[in-house]
Amino acid sequence: MHEEEQKKVADLVKQSLRPMKRELTRDLWPQMLLRLDESSRDRPWYAVLLSPAALSSVPWFDWALLAVLIIGICAFPRSIPVWLYHF
Amino acid sequence: MNTHQYLRAYMAGSAVPTMMLLVVLSGFLAARYSFAIPIPIERAIIFPMALIPNIFGLWNMAYLWTRPRSHLAIGFHGAILPFFIAPVGFLVATCSGFLAATSNGLVWFHQIVVPYAVLAAAFCLALIAYYLVWKYVVGFFNGVLGIA
Repeated sequence: MHEEEQKKVADLVKQSLRPMKRELTRDLWPQMLLRLDESSRDRPWYAVLLSPAALSSVPWFDWALLAVLIIGICAFPRSIPVWLYHF
Repeated sequence: MNTHQYLRAYMAGSAVPTMMLLVVLSGFLAARYSFAIPIPIERAIIFPMALIPNIFGLWNMAYLWTRPRSHLAIGFHGAILPFFIAPVGFLVATCSGFLAATSNGLVWFHQIVVPYAVLAAAFCLALIAYYLVWKYVVGFFNGVLGIA
């Protein structure tokens, strides 16, 4: 194939293909958020709050603080009325 | 979802103590009718029922307002609250007549003596409790209402 023929074929191919749009015509992030939210929409809020995914994201020192809290309440039961009053 | 941000912050903040109110009231009723502790429920419930939810709501509004300036995490913001709530609570309880300060400690409902050492430990535990509650529960409600 001669160079002229190659150029002709290339021009024909260029003409047959539609130009690509480099920019998106709309923002896809809201749809992505909706899709992420779909799984939690049908579940009640406490199921989402206590889901394995949510619990696994809790750092270890917060678990340690929760343990200290429970041990503290058990160690000082006299403080329970104060707790009830201040919550 | 950019409208009424402070109203949503108030609602997210006041939701947690409103739910806890059932636990508090159940505890007071159990103490009064099961353990015969003379708790004046009609006076003792004023602070947990009327003031605490409002304080939580206002504190969450304050968090929303100060967040762009202070960049303080919500857990630490909540942990500051007992420094304000504890004195107010003791003041209301003293004025309502069911809390008295003695040399041995605080006397609640004319029967329950809480030594000052226990009180100090309870305050430290309250800091932890408020940190966890604000970080995970109030933070979750803030996320649900679109202000996180």
